Amino acid sequence: MATADGGAYSYSLTVFSPSGKLVQIEHALAAVSSGTTSLGIKASNGIVIATEKKSSSILIDDSMIDKVSVICPNIGIVYSGMSPDFRVLVAKARKSAQSYWKLYGEYPSTRVLTQEIANIMQQATQSGGVRPYGVSLLVAGWDITRGPSLYQVDPSGSFWAWKASAIGKNMVNAKTFLEKRYNDDISLEDAIHTALLTLKEGFEGHMTEKTIEIGVVTVPSDADLAAGKIEGTGRAKPTFRKLTEEEVRDYLAM
Amino acid sequence: MEEALEQPQLRVFLHPLLHPALLPVSYPRDIRPTWSSIMEYNGGSVIAMVGKDCVAIASDLRLGNQALGISSNFTKIFPMTNRIFLGLPGLATDVTTLKETFRYRVNMYTIKEEREIEPETFAHLVSSTLYERRFGPYFIEPVMAGLQKAADGSLKPYIAATDLIGCLNFAKDFVVAGTASSKLFGVAEGLWEPDLGPEDLFETISQTLLNAVDRDAYSGWGAEVYVLTKDKVIKRTLKGRMD
Amino acid sequence: MAAASVYSGAGFDFTNEVRNTFLTDRGIPLPKATSTGTTIVGCLFKDGIILGADTRATEGPIVADKNCEKIHYITDNIRCCGAGTAADTEFTTALISSNMELHALSTGRKPRVVTAMTMLKQMLFRYQGHIGAALVLGGVDTTGPQLFTIHPHGSTDKLPYVTMGSGSLAAMAIFEAKWRPNMERAEALDLVCAAISAGIFNDLGSGSNVDACVITASHTEMLRNFVKPNERAVKERSYQFRRGTTEYKKEEIRSLVVEEDVTYISAARGAEGEAMDTS
Repeated sequence: MATADGGAYSYSLTVFSPSGKLVQIEHALAAVSSGTTSLGIKASNGIVIATEKKSSSILIDDSMIDKVSVICPNIGIVYSGMSPDFRVLVAKARKSAQSYWKLYGEYPSTRVLTQEIANIMQQATQSGGVRPYGVSLLVAGWDITRGPSLYQVDPSGSFWAWKASAIGKNMVNAKTFLEKRYNDDISLEDAIHTALLTLKEGFEGHMTEKTIEIGVVTVPSDADLAAGKIEGTGRAKPTFRKLTEEEVRDYLAM
Repeated sequence: MEEALEQPQLRVFLHPLLHPALLPVSYPRDIRPTWSSIMEYNGGSVIAMVGKDCVAIASDLRLGNQALGISSNFTKIFPMTNRIFLGLPGLATDVTTLKETFRYRVNMYTIKEEREIEPETFAHLVSSTLYERRFGPYFIEPVMAGLQKAADGSLKPYIAATDLIGCLNFAKDFVVAGTASSKLFGVAEGLWEPDLGPEDLFETISQTLLNAVDRDAYSGWGAEVYVLTKDKVIKRTLKGRMD
Repeated sequence: MAAASVYSGAGFDFTNEVRNTFLTDRGIPLPKATSTGTTIVGCLFKDGIILGADTRATEGPIVADKNCEKIHYITDNIRCCGAGTAADTEFTTALISSNMELHALSTGRKPRVVTAMTMLKQMLFRYQGHIGAALVLGGVDTTGPQLFTIHPHGSTDKLPYVTMGSGSLAAMAIFEAKWRPNMERAEALDLVCAAISAGIFNDLGSGSNVDACVITASHTEMLRNFVKPNERAVKERSYQFRRGTTEYKKEEIRSLVVEEDVTYISAARGAEGEAMDTS
């Protein structure tokens, strides 16, 4: 029964194989590994997350594809794997962030939101009639207690904090590249360049502002923090944003 | 919308048989003593004040059954964290329920977030908890006092109060609630001044409370005062009128 | 209570309803919730919308808050003034603001005022007037400046100048006399201030300061306490009490500082201790 492909155990998600594996989760990881490469780097004054945006046909209007998503003003995520699964998770994560805001009058910390997403993904590994989410996520955000933090969430629902990580097709090479390039006091600007260089390794085709997406977390200055919430809005200044095509073009030109 | 005009309240000498629920409906309206609200069922008042790098919160200690005094040791102020104190004047059964509810929610927050809740966040938690019961409220008007950690690490005084359905009122000076609230407003408006140190703030909040509750039949029977500073919490039990 | 997330409550909780009805039937009325007697206004001008509000919150005849905020944030380009039950205006606008943010994130477009207006009226209609929020909603979007009033039962109006709250008659008198189409910004701001001031000084449910908010296609400017016609006079003397005035029976002091006593062990004993550790 326990054949190389998992045999009978590969279909029922909630049944362990005798070797202690949930084979569907490993298949989900395989789906992630065949997805486009995404990566994140934590710098001293911020975080960058980036991904390549590859379309299977030139006829696809890729300006409508969003792979880096804003969850709430202080958190953004990027994925590798299946885009429909990602879309569902983004909707759930945004709702969760808004519920948190309605209860506490502030947005969740990166850790708490990551936990919420991870719980949703974990539930899909233990419930009947569903399959695991076919995505790995990189969650980047800033909060007052932990500052900038970068998390990776996998289909099993496990998550870790990283200084730099890569997921998707080219993750092994990209991680080796990042290990060589990373140091603790890298600046956000340098991190963005490192991110672009890492993506370039093993990039198929031409890297332009149309074929990659970048999101950045900027650590607020002491002056921003002292000023607190923006007058009359009851909201703090956003710390996560996606770079516009123009900004990406400028970084690529540098 | 038509509302019946309220008769002026006559001065009465209270008697147990004058409980509104016991009186026949035919009893003349104008001499029927009215408990203007459920807040007066058990009585009690709380006040919080801002000082210089400190805050104070104080309450009376009476628990009544309408006109009848039951206890002179009924505390209405509860510590939520080391730096947040919550006052819960109102219906005594709800005081106990909400004290436990908030203890539970604050503990869950601490465990989930791996940090202590800040006063401003706690105020929002109180507000949304009460508004959840917009159409079946708890009869409590919470008052909060705390020291909020600023971005530079310093502690800033924070006080807030909500009505029984959770409408937040942040104030820079003082907040009041309970059966003596109208009196407390008046006395505090006259006595409060900015930048009082912990000892002076103690005198001001104590005198404000004692003098206000002396004119409120439903509050009194002693009082307790908490003064929060950056390095200590001072709790003092005051001597008050026992009538 | 199986909520998808621990943070999301599933609407209102009615568990206390039976008890509370029992009490009110016994002739014990509910305490009064904070309400904003309120003067709120909004008007069109050449480049957009100006909203205005007073800053008094009342609890029956008591002034509960002398400087509250009644102009609520919906999105960067939309704001909403609230009158009626204060908690209802606060939470209704917060809910719609939250939903508008979700809507903007999923559509990727700048939010429109009609969207907020529709969300608000549908919610208020659903609650059949039990949510006591009377609102003035204004903003500028791709379709230009938009101004609405929304009543507690869910009906809406679209007019070039509007007033709401207990001071609405006083404020409307000013608008009817002075409002003209295509006013300049300064002129319109003066008019809004005059309308709110009329409420502050003639309606006892309104008072304290004038808040205003100017929304144009490119920018939203919140003018908190734009005019303060009722500043409290500085007290002529200090009313501090002599320390020791208040008698207290008991004092408990809890120190939040963890004290640490470091005792240095003498060199000879230290060496001995080390020797024992390593052995």
